[in-house]
Amino acid sequence: MLEIRGLTKYFGGLSAVSRLDFAVREGEAVGLIGPNGAGKTTTFNLITGFLRATNGTVLFEGKNLVGQTPHTIATMGIVRTFQATSIFPGFTVLQNLVAACYLKPRIGFWEAALHTVSSRRKEKDVLDQAHRILEFVGMGQMKDLPAPSLPHGHKRILGIAIALAAHPKLLLLDEPLSGMNAGEVVVAMELIKKIWSAGTTILLIEHNMKAAMGFCQRIVVLNFGQKIAEGSPKEVRDNRDVIQAYLGVGDHAA
Amino acid sequence: MDKKRTALTCVLIVALFLLPLVVTGPYQLHVLIMMGIAVILSSSLRLIFNLGQLSLGHGGMMTFGAYTTALLVTKLGVSTWLALGAGAAAGALLALLVGYPFVRLKGIYFSLVTVFLAEVIRLIAEQWQSLTGGTMGISNIPGPDTIAIHGLFSIAFASKVSFYYLTLILVLFTLIALYALERSRIGLTWFSVRESDFLAESIGVDTASSKVLGFCIGSFFAGLAGGLYCQYNSIITPSAFGFAYAMYVLIYMIVGGSQKFSGPIIGAIILSLLPEVARPLKEYQPYIFGGVVILVMFFLPRGLVTLPRRLMTLLGGR
Repeated sequence: MLEIRGLTKYFGGLSAVSRLDFAVREGEAVGLIGPNGAGKTTTFNLITGFLRATNGTVLFEGKNLVGQTPHTIATMGIVRTFQATSIFPGFTVLQNLVAACYLKPRIGFWEAALHTVSSRRKEKDVLDQAHRILEFVGMGQMKDLPAPSLPHGHKRILGIAIALAAHPKLLLLDEPLSGMNAGEVVVAMELIKKIWSAGTTILLIEHNMKAAMGFCQRIVVLNFGQKIAEGSPKEVRDNRDVIQAYLGVGDHAA
Repeated sequence: MDKKRTALTCVLIVALFLLPLVVTGPYQLHVLIMMGIAVILSSSLRLIFNLGQLSLGHGGMMTFGAYTTALLVTKLGVSTWLALGAGAAAGALLALLVGYPFVRLKGIYFSLVTVFLAEVIRLIAEQWQSLTGGTMGISNIPGPDTIAIHGLFSIAFASKVSFYYLTLILVLFTLIALYALERSRIGLTWFSVRESDFLAESIGVDTASSKVLGFCIGSFFAGLAGGLYCQYNSIITPSAFGFAYAMYVLIYMIVGGSQKFSGPIIGAIILSLLPEVARPLKEYQPYIFGGVVILVMFFLPRGLVTLPRRLMTLLGGR
């Protein structure tokens, strides 16, 4: 489904991501882990077009994404969430979802400006869809609250719901659990599993190792912009390079 | 509540149509016409502003529209009504031409390039003397042609009253169009772009095109106001609507309240009446204007539109 070959990004003379290769197959849940500054979020930005790769290719269903605009890539089926909580702050929870359902069904300019019958029907579809997604993520009761008034955990989940509204085939989650308390982590992981079971392929960046290892079938480990390991959670956990990357090489390390 | 508001709006519109029965002085009508033009500008500026882009070149777009209308009529003999529409279209077209590069710039950088664009328009109008008449501008611009249906009626645009009605109709056209757009899903998309453009982009909204579309529509109405002004005033000069005028339009929008649709309308009406009310104070006029603007900014940061609610809570609190 997603195939990354030789992906490289230089910021000035500094390489943030260097000759990265990995693939995500349809229906998989893949984890992307690594210490801070390893290039995980840069990789997300390169896949989704927010940054342009210096070198290499990103193939999605056979098409090269390098050079495409983020909104085109989103329309093709790759939708990402952001590390920082990102919602539309001036809207209520429901309005957030309605705005996010913009993609489908698409309403043309004149249709919308003139309030045609077909546009009104589509608008009702959008509203139904927004309600359905809110129920799916378990936020149905909060629909009329102003989005900024939500507790942190729910803001993050709203961010995921916004991404879902864009109908992703491949969902890129950038540290969805960051800043959550233990209870919120459980709820959020349940939701991510539910999204995956419903058929969305997932690529997950996460620092919560327990959650990432427990959920993903395959893990890709980055350090200093390069892939240092790839495999099942168990293989990765026992990998020497991975342990060194996380814990450093001590003087008396074997 | 909504029915009440619709009824109130209808009453207001009828009152505006009947106003020339009471207000007959040519000077008063002139103030009303200029007020209408200010309403078109401040409301259309708000559309661009609501996309997170503050244009300070709105006066330039107006000048561009005015020159287009004036030149088409005086040099090419195009029909006056067509030229009025062409002035509006010229504003939109210019916005489309510069839009894609401009919207790559955010915040103050976008504002600056719009100032430069307005300056370029002014300089071209000043320097290209053979075409534009230089600093003297273009004069003797004819007003709109008489509308006549043989034997039934005819409306000639010679008196102030007729221009008052023309302005009123164009203001209503502008406001209805802007309101319909804002309430549609296009408006919702525009709001989401303003709220967080990278989030909107990440879920598939073409944010650059959305911003350009808003810039084009906003500039369309600035061009329309320009065409109307030059036909009304019969003369247009390069600096009639310069940076200072763009700042006034911005002040109307902000002091009125940019978050509400009615904000720029109320701002333009009250603040363009203010100098007239303060006229007996002669040279102190600008102080009154400045003082009111500063007071509103401090005590009603969301604009004059919030005044009734503020008063109600103040009175209700006692």
